[in-house]
Amino acid sequence: MKKKKMLLSQETMDTGFIRKVETLSDTSVRSCFQCGKCSAGCPMATFMEHPPNRVMRLLQLGQWQRVLAGRSIWYCASCETCSTRCPNKVHLASIMDALRKLSWDAEGPSKESYVQLANKLFLQNISSYGRQYEMRLAAVFNVKSGQFLKDMMLGPKLFAKGKLKMFQRKNKNLTEIQKIFSRIEEMRKKGEAL
Amino acid sequence: MSRIGVFICHCGENISRTVDVERVARDVGRLPGVAFSTDYKYMCSDPGQTLLKKTIQEQKLSHVVVAACSPRMHEKTFRKAVEAAGLNPFLCEMANIREHCSWVHENIEEATIKATEIVGMMVERVKKNRVLPTITVPVTKRSLVIGGGIAGIQAALDIADAGHEVVLVEREPSIGGHMAQLSETFPTLDCSQCIMTPKMVDVANHPKIKLYTYSEIELVEGYIGNFQVTIKKKARSVNEDTCTGCGVCMTKCPQKKIPNKFDQNIGMRTAIYIPFPQAVPNTPVIDRENCTKFKTGKCGVCQKVCGPGAVDFEQEDSLIVEPVGAIVVATGFDLYTIDEKPKGSPIKGYGEFGHGKIADVIDGMTFERLASASGPTGGKILRPSDGKEPKQIVFIQCIGSRAREKGISYCSKVCCMYTAKHTMLYHHKVHGGQAYVFFMDARTPGKSYDEFWRRAIEEEDAVYIRGMVSRLYQKGDKIVVMGSDIAVGVQVEIEADMVVLATAIQPQKGADLLAQKLGISYDKYNFYSEAHAKLRPVECATAGIYLAGACQGPKDIPETVSQASAAAAKVMTLFSKDQLEREPIVARVREAGCVGCFACKKVCAYGAVEEKEIRDRQGNLIKVVAYVNPGVCAGCGTCQATCPSKCVELDGYTDEQVIAMIEAL
Amino acid sequence: MNDTLKYAYYPGCSLHASAGEYDLSTRELFSALGISLTEVPDWFCCGATPAHNVDELLSLSLCAKNLELAEQVEGDLAVACASCFSRLKFTQHTLEENATKRKQVEKAIDAPVKLDGKVKHLLEILAKDLGLERLAASVSKPLAGLKVACYYGCLLTRPTDVPNLDCPEAPTIMERVVEASGAETVAWTHRLECCGANFTLSRPGVVLQLTNAILDSAKAAGADCIMVGCPLCHGNLDIRQKEIENVYSAEYNLPVFYLTQLVGLSVGLAPDQLGLNAMIVNPTPLLKEKGLL
Repeated sequence: MKKKKMLLSQETMDTGFIRKVETLSDTSVRSCFQCGKCSAGCPMATFMEHPPNRVMRLLQLGQWQRVLAGRSIWYCASCETCSTRCPNKVHLASIMDALRKLSWDAEGPSKESYVQLANKLFLQNISSYGRQYEMRLAAVFNVKSGQFLKDMMLGPKLFAKGKLKMFQRKNKNLTEIQKIFSRIEEMRKKGEAL
Repeated sequence: MSRIGVFICHCGENISRTVDVERVARDVGRLPGVAFSTDYKYMCSDPGQTLLKKTIQEQKLSHVVVAACSPRMHEKTFRKAVEAAGLNPFLCEMANIREHCSWVHENIEEATIKATEIVGMMVERVKKNRVLPTITVPVTKRSLVIGGGIAGIQAALDIADAGHEVVLVEREPSIGGHMAQLSETFPTLDCSQCIMTPKMVDVANHPKIKLYTYSEIELVEGYIGNFQVTIKKKARSVNEDTCTGCGVCMTKCPQKKIPNKFDQNIGMRTAIYIPFPQAVPNTPVIDRENCTKFKTGKCGVCQKVCGPGAVDFEQEDSLIVEPVGAIVVATGFDLYTIDEKPKGSPIKGYGEFGHGKIADVIDGMTFERLASASGPTGGKILRPSDGKEPKQIVFIQCIGSRAREKGISYCSKVCCMYTAKHTMLYHHKVHGGQAYVFFMDARTPGKSYDEFWRRAIEEEDAVYIRGMVSRLYQKGDKIVVMGSDIAVGVQVEIEADMVVLATAIQPQKGADLLAQKLGISYDKYNFYSEAHAKLRPVECATAGIYLAGACQGPKDIPETVSQASAAAAKVMTLFSKDQLEREPIVARVREAGCVGCFACKKVCAYGAVEEKEIRDRQGNLIKVVAYVNPGVCAGCGTCQATCPSKCVELDGYTDEQVIAMIEAL
Repeated sequence: MNDTLKYAYYPGCSLHASAGEYDLSTRELFSALGISLTEVPDWFCCGATPAHNVDELLSLSLCAKNLELAEQVEGDLAVACASCFSRLKFTQHTLEENATKRKQVEKAIDAPVKLDGKVKHLLEILAKDLGLERLAASVSKPLAGLKVACYYGCLLTRPTDVPNLDCPEAPTIMERVVEASGAETVAWTHRLECCGANFTLSRPGVVLQLTNAILDSAKAAGADCIMVGCPLCHGNLDIRQKEIENVYSAEYNLPVFYLTQLVGLSVGLAPDQLGLNAMIVNPTPLLKEKGLL
């Protein structure tokens, strides 16, 4: 995919996708003039196969498959450095949010599974408990990602310091949060929200 | 009874495609007062105009309506033709059936009816038109030039060489402006001072140029051909007539550590000083804020050592009034700085580059002073912090420019070229050093410009990196540059000894205040606005005021000089006549009804309304009424709309004419 | 003027778990300063980074719901966690600017969105509402001689115009607060760099690399310790410090304090009131050396 020639035509440049990103992120994709300042300051750029400016460029050309297939969007730490320093007020951190959401909608074409798994478990915890259950988050992540021994050494120490809570009480008003989840799902089904 | 002739133009097919022009001609021919009507393919063409002229004479027409395009396009053309046929030009009106009708409609039937109505309105209007005599005003054949940089100098010399007097006003103690600060100039690398100082001397010696330095414009009154300009000459504390420019005062002045603005504050000067050795005039000025004598009353060494006794501590600011007929504004530019801006300012600084607090992060103009043979380092490239020669130097372009987020969207135009020049100067002066440039786009349109940029890379070893810098920070005695190379797609980190920022070009501070004094318009950045971006690029919308150089927008030297000469040519055109003719579309006050409330005076943007005393034969004052100076009035009609007693009429746009149009509908 | 400052308090999930000492020291410090905190009843998780990362509408709705819950308690909303603070501020900013998103959120929470309540980080309350002068006046044990590296991380100040806590590129609010407590601050290069945040779970290698650079910079600047206002930054700098030292063969031994712990020390609170024993990098030797214990 990466090395394949880009055949540009009105058919291959998916402007509908660009519009979706713009609606979700509330920022103009065309405003970027490829100065590269985002990539210069991105703490995660060295971990990405497409540095942030190139993610923007591919997006400008409507090449969403190339963007979503990569790991770059999942390696964004949402540190907001790019948005803060962009000379053109492109809110790239929000564009990254939009791209991740659309990647999920497209059922995760990215190979980056760990970050996606962590996000999924985090959201599941919110809908089941109302608040984050850190201990469970870490434990389930390790099981599901097959890294049973990850951070094994930290466990007892954290436990001794009172940093790991074994039990999490569910919020009394948990149904309210579950309603929020279901109302959002409903709106999306009806096409009232992206 | 009027004998009106109506001429309907096809405008090729522009009008006739949607308007049945023959039917319009037929229908309006039946209107009362219309003696003749016809249609023609191109009314503005030579045969079209001939037809118009011939018909006026043959049919003995009294008024003319040409139904064609917008009056903005061809009103002048047809009025001239009408005048040639012996009619007063203001008895001709245009009915706009192109922009207002054929271009915006598709249905032929409806468009034809609308066109007929538009023409009908103008027929009724033209019946009320009066013969208007052309207004003439005298011209004072002297010119004011504001700003003594290369733009002002060029304009002043051109006008003066044509034999007209020039009053040149410069805010700083010397003329020369920013060009005098530069080391070498692109694309030929000739020394700026070498080409600039002879021109400065020419100004000083020119019999037709009256030079006011250390002076500012206080007040501008009057109008084209007849301005009265009040100039504030700030107290120099040195008598210009007696000073010989020997410089003893400066060598003896004990205050020697004052940052010299001319050297971008990296060099020092004395309290009595000339900004640079080649200054014109070669007369020092006392900087009263830093002079011991003015601060404490003690000292006065300069006065004691001055042979001719030119030092005068008592000197005061003085006001001088100069009558001029034209004004050239050439106030130049200022450089954007990256420091923190006041809260709420539309312009923001660069916190990510340390807000200007890292000593060895300098701007391009400071680099010019370092590279200049007459600069504070004698032309050696040395760091301001410790005087060491930088072995790795990083240049960053587009600082402030093209940065909407910082409040400036435009391209400053000269930075690509001067940065390329800087890398060459660095390469020539620092052996074994390496220059890097972070840039987004290289903009090098201009004669021999792109070749110059390529030379920096191909022959002078500059490493250009396409990509911007996110952050600069001090680490020990190095500056860490966090950049990216977007062609490679990786981050770049350079530990630099010095960083040079190509900062944006902005108008001079206070440019907006001067514009308000002159009554000229300016854009949101305070750059002065030309009357027309393409066809009137050196004129202001305000008659008699012309623009030269970077006060109108970022420009390099060749462009500035061209515009300055163009502005001078416009001034000479104005001065080629003794009397100025202007359109008589001006407001008139019906004095009998005027109650002297002067509401009109308050709203007049051009200062055209004056107070006029009405006296009886014995000379007793009866009342004070408004009087519109026809030389100044721009014909905007605001006074007419404002007058509570309906006593102001705008010639050519009287209430009578407008009501007639409405009634014709 | 009524002298008692009253706030609704949103601790956030971490303060009820891994950052218990931040919660404890916040409550103790505020009570010592005479500032009243009332915890928002039945608050929910703000969604943090994972929610806005993949579902902005959910993130906005969770925060809007919390803002609605906070309305029950008198006073502006005091937030301790930088991430919760950032999300709540983002929500206010976004819903203020974008009417479509506002309507969607109102539908999701089945209630009108209220944006007039002020959301404030603890730093803001100490530096602005209480004021540095009053804070300094409460100091009984000045942190004299303690060299502190104030670490802002990402979310307290960025992006421009959203949190509006301080200048996003050259903030000083943490320095001002801890200097009012008598400490010295160091100028260092990495106080605004990202620590890797929640990659600590999914990609800890990333965190080790980024956090090492931060610790290295603080050490090089001569800091004795680091001060933070974010549980995630704290976790990465403190909990992972030993591991970083092993991986990068470095020695830092930099205790990582929450701002409320350091300010708490200066107003005379005892170590157990500040949860100092919960810190992984033991601060006791340093504090003893400086005569602060």
